[in-house]
Amino acid sequence: MSHTRFSLWRPWQRTLAGFAVGAALAIGVSPVQALPSFARQTGMECASCHVGGFGPQLTPAGTLFKMGGYTDSDGKDGKIPLSAMVIGSYTHTREDQDPEPGLKANNNLKMNEAALFFAGRVTDSIGGFAELNYDGIEHKTAVDRVDFRYARALRLDGRDATFGISVNNTPSSSDPFNTLPASIFPYTDSPAAVGTGESATLINGGLEHRVLGAVAYANYGGLYGELGSYGSLSPSLQSKIGQGRDYQRLSMGSNAYWRLAWMQDLKTQAFHVGVFGWSADVQPDRTVASPKDRYHDVGVDAGYQLLGNREHMLTLNGSYVREHRTDIEGAKSSLRETRLNASYYYQQTWGASIGRFATTGSDPAAATRGQMLQLDWTPWGKENANPPAFLSLANLRLGLQYWNYNEFGGLSSGAKDHNTTYLFSWLSF
Amino acid sequence: MRRARIMNQSFIRPLLCGAVLAVWTANANAQISGDASDGEDVFTANCGECHSVREGKDKRGPSLYGMYGAKAAQRPGFKYSDALLTSGLVWDAETLARYLTDPRGAVPGSKMKFDGLADAQERADVIAYMATLGLP
Repeated sequence: MSHTRFSLWRPWQRTLAGFAVGAALAIGVSPVQALPSFARQTGMECASCHVGGFGPQLTPAGTLFKMGGYTDSDGKDGKIPLSAMVIGSYTHTREDQDPEPGLKANNNLKMNEAALFFAGRVTDSIGGFAELNYDGIEHKTAVDRVDFRYARALRLDGRDATFGISVNNTPSSSDPFNTLPASIFPYTDSPAAVGTGESATLINGGLEHRVLGAVAYANYGGLYGELGSYGSLSPSLQSKIGQGRDYQRLSMGSNAYWRLAWMQDLKTQAFHVGVFGWSADVQPDRTVASPKDRYHDVGVDAGYQLLGNREHMLTLNGSYVREHRTDIEGAKSSLRETRLNASYYYQQTWGASIGRFATTGSDPAAATRGQMLQLDWTPWGKENANPPAFLSLANLRLGLQYWNYNEFGGLSSGAKDHNTTYLFSWLSF
Repeated sequence: MRRARIMNQSFIRPLLCGAVLAVWTANANAQISGDASDGEDVFTANCGECHSVREGKDKRGPSLYGMYGAKAAQRPGFKYSDALLTSGLVWDAETLARYLTDPRGAVPGSKMKFDGLADAQERADVIAYMATLGLP
């Protein structure tokens, strides 16, 4: 398998890497703003579309940009649709952990990942991004998130309307709010810690990057809806894109992802409330004819942003997902995930966020509950806050997270052994 | 009867016209007598994501530096809609007030995705702020 991946690296990754270097050199002499490719494309700062001046939490402007298929621009040609990012970190847990390959039992100083993105508009109606990710722990390169869109904006009966189709590889990532599992806070976590636990619903990353789906979406006057379906990539193709081989099979048409939300952008504040779900029949092993595991994930979510004049910004986000699963032998089980988060940003630079996470289910061992705190600093990404000349295209976030566990894997005893301090540096350019 | 005679006297009509003009001018002035400081906040919340006030910096919308008093759609290098290019508008308090109330009604075919500022005071404030952009 590794040989296959190495062989794949030779013909096209080198070309891509060479293209990236060439592009970086070309960008390096450009006088345009010090921002990743969407920012260069639109002429807008990171802070226009992202709360706190750094992705991925979207402001209403960012939400509209995503719905619009990533196609808005400042009307000027010649923008290179490439970006990159690097995340480095230091992780300390209260007690030593069972280390995964590539990690120590504690006090891990690591480059989590480095990624290269194609991200930009292709035509007036088509745009998107694709991420090629290098995992600094496992030393693997893989295709990560992909989202390409066709979108059209219309004016119907005096109201704005947008219709589009998203082709993506992560269920719920098509959603333009930061309350669904694919894009909810925290936006980075430690590879050397236990995060929100070992159990998760199917819609919470269960098949991410191993499927490809089409999601039709529409927004009319603040009423937003999505409907789509996903199908598994073949094990061979999964292997070629660096995801290994997973023999589960999800057939296109045998599953339905859906989402309905109502949102209002009042300029100085914005909110949305919604419901979502994914019902899927998953064949556990495609090499063996067998019944399928049946998943029914249903959730509710809401978000509020106090934007004001952007000096002080407050956001509240939450979601609740309930999963019912019937396995191939007819056994039923359930899982529930609750996420509640609040963040405050001063001058879109200094941020403090708190979050509560809870996963519980019919299996007591699935339960993980706790809280987390994040403090972060984002010095650039604003119109009047540019990085030094030698980093003239970059944006940066430095952050500190602290995770406190009340229960982990169904046990309260020893849960705090997993309490984690995570320092990270997230550079994008 | 006496009042009617007075109204018919030749010097009254010019006076009335003058008074009407004065009221109209006062209204027009009222539109620009907003508070520029408050207008900056209104601008940031409603316009700043798509428009810069820095000279030469275009975003999804053109830079608004020095736009007050200028002809519409004149920033070199920015791709305006045909509707705005042919509008013949000059951005003053009156045209801005009309445009900001209902951009797509004032200039059908405008590319600007903005529903308008319904609050007259906010319009006055933001126009007052725009009038300061590009001043020495």
